[in-house]
Amino acid sequence: MKAASFEHHEPTTVEEAVSLLESLDEPTILAGGQSLVPMLRFRLARPDTVIDINGIDSLEYLHEEDGYLRIGALARHADVEDTDVIADRYGSFADAAPLIADPQIRNQGTVVGSMAQADPKGDWGSVLIAHDGEVTARGPDGERTIPVDELFLLPYDTSLMDDELLTEARVPAPVEGEGSAYHKLKRKTGDYAMAGVAARLVLDDDGRIEDAGIGMTAVDITNARAADAEAHLEGERPSADLFEEAGELAAEASNPESDEHGDAGYKERMVDVLTQRALGDAAERAGAVKRRVPQ
Amino acid sequence: MSSESDNTTEPTEYQHDDDGGPQPEKHCGHGRGGMGEEVTRKEDKRFITGRGNYVDDIKKPRMLHCEIVRSPHAHARIEDIDGSRAMALDDVVAVLTADDLLEHGLATMPTLMDDTQDVLVNDKVKFQSQEVAAVIATDRYAAKDGAEKVEVEYDVLDPVIGAEEALEDDAPVIREELDDQDDNHIFDWETGDAEATDAVFDAADVTVEEQMEYQRLHPAPIETCGCVADWDPGDDKMTVHMTSQAPHAHRTLFSQVSGIPEHKVRIVSPDVGGGFGNKVPIYPGYVVAAAASYVLERPVKWVEERSENIQTTGFARDYDMTGELAATENGEIKGVKVDVLADHGAYNAAAQPSKFPAGFFNIFTGSYDIEAAHGSLTAAYTNTAPGGVAYRCSFRVTEAVYLIERMVKVLADELDLDPAEIRRRNFIPSDAFPYESATGWNYDSGDYEKALDKALEMADYDHYREEQQRRIEEDADKLIGIGISSFTEVVGAGPGKQCDIAGIEMFDSADLRVNPTGNAVLRVGVQTQGQGHETTFAQIIAEELGMDVDNIVVEHGDTDTEPYGLGTYGSRSTPVAGAAAAVAARKVRDKAKSIAANELEAAEEDIEWDRESGEFHVAGAPERSITITEIAAGAYMNHPGSEEPGLEATNYYDPPEMTYPFGSYIVIVEVDRETGEVDFEKFVAVDDCGNRINPMIIEGQIHGGLAQGIGTAMMEHVTYDDNGNVTGGDFMNYLLPTAKEIPNFDTGHTVTPSPHHPIGAKGVGESPTVGSPPAIVNAVVDAMSHSGVSHVEMPMTPDAVWEALDEAELTLEPSANVDFAFDTSEEPADD
Ligand SMILES: Cc1cc2nc3c(=O)[nH]c(=O)nc-3n(C[C@H](O)[C@H](O)[C@H](O)COP(=O)(O)OP(=O)(O)OC[C@H]3O[C@@H](n4cnc5c(N)ncnc54)[C@H](O)[C@@H]3O)c2cc1C
Repeated sequence: MKAASFEHHEPTTVEEAVSLLESLDEPTILAGGQSLVPMLRFRLARPDTVIDINGIDSLEYLHEEDGYLRIGALARHADVEDTDVIADRYGSFADAAPLIADPQIRNQGTVVGSMAQADPKGDWGSVLIAHDGEVTARGPDGERTIPVDELFLLPYDTSLMDDELLTEARVPAPVEGEGSAYHKLKRKTGDYAMAGVAARLVLDDDGRIEDAGIGMTAVDITNARAADAEAHLEGERPSADLFEEAGELAAEASNPESDEHGDAGYKERMVDVLTQRALGDAAERAGAVKRRVPQ
Repeated sequence: MSSESDNTTEPTEYQHDDDGGPQPEKHCGHGRGGMGEEVTRKEDKRFITGRGNYVDDIKKPRMLHCEIVRSPHAHARIEDIDGSRAMALDDVVAVLTADDLLEHGLATMPTLMDDTQDVLVNDKVKFQSQEVAAVIATDRYAAKDGAEKVEVEYDVLDPVIGAEEALEDDAPVIREELDDQDDNHIFDWETGDAEATDAVFDAADVTVEEQMEYQRLHPAPIETCGCVADWDPGDDKMTVHMTSQAPHAHRTLFSQVSGIPEHKVRIVSPDVGGGFGNKVPIYPGYVVAAAASYVLERPVKWVEERSENIQTTGFARDYDMTGELAATENGEIKGVKVDVLADHGAYNAAAQPSKFPAGFFNIFTGSYDIEAAHGSLTAAYTNTAPGGVAYRCSFRVTEAVYLIERMVKVLADELDLDPAEIRRRNFIPSDAFPYESATGWNYDSGDYEKALDKALEMADYDHYREEQQRRIEEDADKLIGIGISSFTEVVGAGPGKQCDIAGIEMFDSADLRVNPTGNAVLRVGVQTQGQGHETTFAQIIAEELGMDVDNIVVEHGDTDTEPYGLGTYGSRSTPVAGAAAAVAARKVRDKAKSIAANELEAAEEDIEWDRESGEFHVAGAPERSITITEIAAGAYMNHPGSEEPGLEATNYYDPPEMTYPFGSYIVIVEVDRETGEVDFEKFVAVDDCGNRINPMIIEGQIHGGLAQGIGTAMMEHVTYDDNGNVTGGDFMNYLLPTAKEIPNFDTGHTVTPSPHHPIGAKGVGESPTVGSPPAIVNAVVDAMSHSGVSHVEMPMTPDAVWEALDEAELTLEPSANVDFAFDTSEEPADD
């Protein structure tokens, strides 16, 4: 790597980081570095100053607390893979983590950094959408909470201010009858998604869908919500036909572009397929039983 | 190819046994690390402990760093280059342009196909990322900072992308600087007998045709290209440590280009992190670094970045092929035709023996006894990086094998014949060797049916055929496909009279010196980039002299100490330098006999060498024996007056013929009807490379090559957009498979020795890359051929496979076979 030269700061507290953000001219935060370092290497990013937050121990956490799954800014993708509560209760997180990049990248890259990066091909944005998640930002004026739907503006662009640090991402802890899943289509380990879909379902006592969340990866200018599909599901019982309709609605809501990895039409069709698969797994995890239909 | 070479190989016990021919695996395992033993790789200790020494590890006092300024445009005239802002930076020492190189006669360099390539663009840029200027600075960051500050004014021209477009009448002419060049046509090439082939086609019961593209690939070695050039004005000597697969040939070329006498040029190829054909050509970066070192009288390092490697150095393949077969209705193949459109990029810089503009492509009759064959090829310039290197293959043999193995599958489907059976009906019979093909190749030996039968058994072929049928009948969500490839390779170039690199005949060499204490140094003219030469060549010596393999060290890669050789590519090291090593060892053995006679006080005629014990003894008195260690001492401390002192021999080996490794691969895939994703269910590879030196190293070579075959078939492609921008020029877009994408391989082997090679070996490094892509494509096609699919282009992305499924009306919705019920109720939930 032959990055242009920059000044490197290593704060050890959130307060110190925020005051550096405020005082320095256009500083850039370095978390896991798995998006920033490639940009430095290609000199697409040429910051004068870099604030490396890896020394802020208070940001290293990943746990359930006060009805939320709380993900500190230094929780790595690999931590999500290795945390019991995730494996037990958060199907979509458990599905997504091992599908991100490769093990080396997962040991460094952070969930919160992914949210800040706002890459439409990032996986966590879709998972947070499906779970109605939010992020916490700390700036000179204190702390504020940004719902995920208000975070992503454009590719690599968020509603975060230049002098704000993201400290946490969180989603409400699952309720009784909830299940979630993530399905991703990629060409190889280390490749971003051609398309990905996160789905979350809450079934009521009667087996009807009480609440549904669907987030889509790599098929629009940001991670995107399939709102029509969500609305179509609510109040219905899970069935293959219902999921097929939801898949079609999600595909209609998507706006993929053709690239080296796949044609737009194909990706749209894959949104349909992946939505059905993710809904299927989410429903199963919520307590429904998947049965093969005799021919 | 036949040859009248008089380079006879001495008959030995190993080669000629009682019944005349070389015997498979006859002399394995004397426990000294000779032929057939799984000796642990000697080179691995230094690699595993981080003590390898690659070009980028080399640091010299006062060393400068070179960064190349590259064109963002694919086709543009350079109006002006201004390096003043770069020179104004503190750490920048020099900015070089074509004008500076012109002064030293280094503005252009010859390609391996005798074209002339700009080292730094003189007038017109011909491909994106072409070398425009160079910045020399005190460290690599400063060099890059300087490169950003060089201002270049371009007059942008319309680019020509794609060979077909390049040959259109109104296409802009890329190489107008060449005399007589008023279009983008490079050459036409033809092979075989057109008339005889037409006649066979006219008379045939059935003919089939298929168009297929062998996409542009890049060898993508993990270590990119680079060098440290060091001009020593005290000795007037240029030393270049560089990533070279052919150090001696590069020395000669370097001397010719620079005018520095060859004895004042030293090329050292240290540890090389993969070559795969990418490190056979000379690249502008090497020349620029050497020129800069010469001018500045300081060492200069140049090391490519990943994207520079993929975007500018020798690509492979890029053949657009149309194949045709003529056959009887029971599947006997009578004729084959092929027509190729080849994209060579902006310069004709293919890496082939100079008399073979299309490499060994005319081996496209493959493993089959075909009466008539004809091939034609047209090559074109385009505004893309130059190339056409032999990526882990012998000179276009990969393209040839792909063509014939795909066509056999197309024919099998047309005739509704089993693809294994149709191969069997057409194989060159095992008793027909040596066999001359319709395009003039002389196959040394083969037993194709045996390898196929073994592969079929290992693959549980009949079971999977049944399973395939069952899935079709049940309309299952995943289809089974079974693909076969029964390939024949041609490796081991020379013979020198037919094959040369820039005029230098393709022999190779070995120089063996046995020390007074009984250990030995073997120096070879080939160069290892992962093939394990330091181990396998030592095993050849161990076998031939009865030494312990640990007592032999193999040196390579330094032109000041190694004998002249043509380098490692085209699976030629074992067939050529391996032969030289064996012959040199036998020369030493002959001399050893006279020393043994002296030591044992017997007549030389009475001294016998016993391969089993590795000792020399007096005929009829095995207890009067002596080892090579004792003989070595005798050679230096008590040498017989009849001989020179010392125990050394050199051999330059010009092979009488090439060797023809072969094999049968069977790939079984599952194709997902919802997404087009392909999963490998089983992957069987049966290889025959003649006598086997180190089975473990062979296995490793096969595994690596199969992985590259999977990359080829499934993911790799150097793509361009219409403006000539490389869109597949880094590892986010040029996808290489990882261990996760690679299935378990079931490997097997048969042994059919080469009759003309001193140890009956054939070469194996490239068989898997050559043989596996058609097996994989055949498997994916086979999953859909019941619905009429006859071809899927590589790389077979999920998208491409899904399109094929869709056209054959085979796609499926996830909802097709399931429904949901809540709780544990038995009935599907009503809705
Ligand atoms: C080869 C490769 C493959 C990949 N594949 C995938 C994939 O399949 N799926 C996927 O989701 N991701 C993928 N990634 C991206 C990876 O997940 C990154 O780790 C992630 O996008 C960014 O997290 P990071 O911690 O590495 O952030 P960094 O690289 O350190 O930072 C990224 C950006 O976010 C900003 N930032 C980081 N943290 C904060 C913060 N706390 N507050 C404010 N701003 C902040 C930085 O300033 C920077 O602009 C891949 C990356 C690579 C190199």
